[in-house]
Amino acid sequence: MIKTSLTKKEILFMWNDSLLVFLLMFPLLGAALVFFLPFSYVRSTALSVSLINFIASLFLWIQFDHSTPQFQFVTKITWLPISNLHIYMGIDGISLFFVILSTFLVPICILVGWVSIQTYVREYVIAFLILESCMIAVFCMLDLLLFYVFFESVLIPMFLIIGIWGSRERKIRAAYQFFLYTLFGSVLMLLAIILIYFQTGTTDLQVLYTTSFSEKRQILLWLAFFASFAVKVPMVPVHIWLPEAHVEAPTSGSVILAGVLLKLGTYGFLRFSIPMFPEASLYFTPLIYTMSIIAVIYASLTTIRQIDLKKVIAYSSVAHMAFVTIGLFSLNVQGIEGSILLMLSHGLVSSALFLCVGCLYDRHKTRLIPYYGACVHTMPIFSVIFLFFTLGNLSLPGTSSFVGEFLILVGAFQNNTLITTLAATGMVLGAAYSLWLYNRVVFGNFKPNFINVYSDCNRREVFMFLPLIIAVLWMGIYPEVFLDPMHCSVANVIQHGNFN
Amino acid sequence: MNFISLFANDFQAVFPELFLVTATIVLLVYGIVLSTSNRYDYPILIGNVSWLAIFSLGFAFLLLISDPFKNSILFYNSLLIDPFASFLKGLIILCSICAILMSLDYLKQKSFHAFEYVILILFSTCSMLIMVSAYDFLSMYLAIELQSLCFYVLAASKRSSEFSTEAGLKYFILSAFASGIILFGCSMIYGLTGITNFGELVIFFTGNAAIPFHLSSGILLGILFISVGLLFKLTAAPFHMWAPDVYEGSPTPVTAFFAIVPKLAILGLFIRFLLFSCYDLMNVCQSIIIFCSLASMMIGALAALSQKRIKRMLAFSSIGHIGYILMGFACGTIDGMQSLLLYMVIYSFMTIGAFAVVLSLQHQSPSMKYIEDFTMLGKMNPIIAVTMSMILFSMAGIPPLAGFFAKYYIFLAAIESGWYWLATIGVLTSVISCFYYIRIMKIMYFEKRKGWIYTQGVDREKSVILAMTLFFLCFFFFVPSPLLVMTHKIALAFCV
Repeated sequence: MIKTSLTKKEILFMWNDSLLVFLLMFPLLGAALVFFLPFSYVRSTALSVSLINFIASLFLWIQFDHSTPQFQFVTKITWLPISNLHIYMGIDGISLFFVILSTFLVPICILVGWVSIQTYVREYVIAFLILESCMIAVFCMLDLLLFYVFFESVLIPMFLIIGIWGSRERKIRAAYQFFLYTLFGSVLMLLAIILIYFQTGTTDLQVLYTTSFSEKRQILLWLAFFASFAVKVPMVPVHIWLPEAHVEAPTSGSVILAGVLLKLGTYGFLRFSIPMFPEASLYFTPLIYTMSIIAVIYASLTTIRQIDLKKVIAYSSVAHMAFVTIGLFSLNVQGIEGSILLMLSHGLVSSALFLCVGCLYDRHKTRLIPYYGACVHTMPIFSVIFLFFTLGNLSLPGTSSFVGEFLILVGAFQNNTLITTLAATGMVLGAAYSLWLYNRVVFGNFKPNFINVYSDCNRREVFMFLPLIIAVLWMGIYPEVFLDPMHCSVANVIQHGNFN
Repeated sequence: MNFISLFANDFQAVFPELFLVTATIVLLVYGIVLSTSNRYDYPILIGNVSWLAIFSLGFAFLLLISDPFKNSILFYNSLLIDPFASFLKGLIILCSICAILMSLDYLKQKSFHAFEYVILILFSTCSMLIMVSAYDFLSMYLAIELQSLCFYVLAASKRSSEFSTEAGLKYFILSAFASGIILFGCSMIYGLTGITNFGELVIFFTGNAAIPFHLSSGILLGILFISVGLLFKLTAAPFHMWAPDVYEGSPTPVTAFFAIVPKLAILGLFIRFLLFSCYDLMNVCQSIIIFCSLASMMIGALAALSQKRIKRMLAFSSIGHIGYILMGFACGTIDGMQSLLLYMVIYSFMTIGAFAVVLSLQHQSPSMKYIEDFTMLGKMNPIIAVTMSMILFSMAGIPPLAGFFAKYYIFLAAIESGWYWLATIGVLTSVISCFYYIRIMKIMYFEKRKGWIYTQGVDREKSVILAMTLFFLCFFFFVPSPLLVMTHKIALAFCV
């Protein structure tokens, strides 16, 4: 008997099977559409495309099966059979929220540029839609080479975003630094991938998880991957590009950079370095710890003496990401879950802080702190929002960062009490720079020559901040919703590496 | 048994070449008779002849792909047809078509009225077709010479420009010298072995221990000489001195032609000679190739950094690309061969695109010589700017553009053969070369200048070429397997 209509369940299965393809292709189609549309529809079309994509990505979360560490929504497309390469996509507890975070932030980025971007608007939204597609692809590729391809291809739109819509002349230098640092790191990873390919004959991640490399080779490969991820994270000696790129990027560029691109490195550690090279990971844990501790303390201290608003937040990102690496390499469930949570939380909080700076910059066209003061009189709503995210940034209990940092410290404590103690000083320093920054910008006396016009956040900006506030509070008060889907996957990573 | 019946089938097998030679001669006669005719008031035939030449090249391409002779040795072992040769021939013809298409507008714009330009391109294309299928020192050398002779004239074709004359002269002297070196190598091998045929050389070299010691050094010297000559023609690094000058001095369409087509042919010949005939001496030759590859990559990356003129920069960039190609060559494996073919295809597309951009900008009133002249292109002509930046990203090997896959397969082959350090250096030089590729992008988008330059639109031929190359570079990622499978098959067929 021939079935004529599909049942509801079958439709759901088909939808699930093609959901990732949809998420990848829809922004690209949107970009193509935007290219041909008349100018007046450009922004609204891009916004609706990215919103639809965000809503679609929520289905990942809804349909996600919490009880298994397996990859879900797996899609396999034959791509290059002669080299045993396939487009192989899937989501597990680790990558689930990163995909959602990417789709969550892109509409906000498009919204940020609604008024402030006046040149090359069409190209602006196209760059963001392509970037969105690349970011989703990075997080759901289960093939090492294709992961690399998308890891790198993020460079092209990001280079253009920093270079074209950045604010000052120095942006060119920043774009250069961003491009070359990232490229230099990641080409070594390419060689490592080729080496892995020759040992195993495949770059399929699930097969690679079952492969064991000799310890010597693990160390070599780990270092090659490290070169790439450490630049992206950024670990301390190679973090120079980050403050530059952040300061010179447009607001939306900073949002994406802080929100998603910094997570690529830590995601790479978690997805590739730790499960694929467990022995090397153990071997290098002291190195990571040392570098991270230096980063936490050094970056926090550097933050205190900055006078550029964006640089402050950029350096605080360095410190937070160092926390994340400490958590990852504590190699136990609390540490890793905490670091994933901190990555997500940092993606929300520091993006929001960059949005705040964007608000200030749009109004007063400067980012130097000494020019600001007494914003509370001219921008009361803004001051409240800014306070909220400042407190989020110093990980006040009740906000998302607290849960993450707390879990990280718990995780690290089981390994090494000294590291935990040193890392905890980072929290103190974090409080210091965050509050001091807030003081300098919002309180104090009027500086009548500069900031004396009442110009509070408009409705568009409040709507931009609202989802971020909700997400931060939600994650801080009830983190179980976020932790639950990742338990199985994280436990699997740890069990797989025999870290207990 | 007369001459014709002796070669009857052979003539059928070289039908594309035969057609092309005939068409060229007919076009030459047509051009000369008409352009000197008083009755038609001495018409300027360059456009007319160019289009006819493009049609004949297209027809030759059709003949080539419908050729029933897939594997054959012709004319008393002097020519060989195999999938490798056919593939390269197809590529050469396509690139020649693109080169002529690109130059149409330039010729009109610069009042370049000599239709012999196209005839010379056609002749050199014929010679390159023969070169690719050469199976004997004699046919090889003759093909090289025919090609080089056409090139000397092409380089010096713009007589009003001192640079062009100088380029022609330089190219003539150095290239004639290289030809002499090749000839000397051939005669050494011939003198010591009595063989000029590639197929017989294979038999002679198989198991190189069999070569008597007193002969082997001489034979090696011969191989060395031939390699040096060919590397010279390939603009590989220690022998690259002429390339930037010639590239810069020659008229731009000629440069475009030089940068793309002869490399394919010479590489084909080089591969035929080293990987086919001297495969058993490969371990000896390998070191030369590796050295040249290394030097080319480094010089390509470092020297291009400080260039101010766009054509010179492209010259050094093409030297760098030759370095990567030679890396695939040095492996001497099937994968190496495949990666090399892939790289050649993608390199040709990228270079065609880059030169089409340069040419389409160069017909403005103050012609674009310097990289600085690209300033504000992002504002003046955004689509050209996007195209150029994609081409440059691809040349730099940024995924997911096609250039990445070319480089990836080269490194894959190098690591497979155990050349870890070579691959590492290749990767690092490719990062260095990113500097100058993105420098152009920086100039196009980010830099400001005082006045505007009014640009004319790009003519239809170049826009079609640009659109096609851009499409290829951007969308290669989605369907890579046809090209990869094709190159793989050809590599297999060659190596078996």
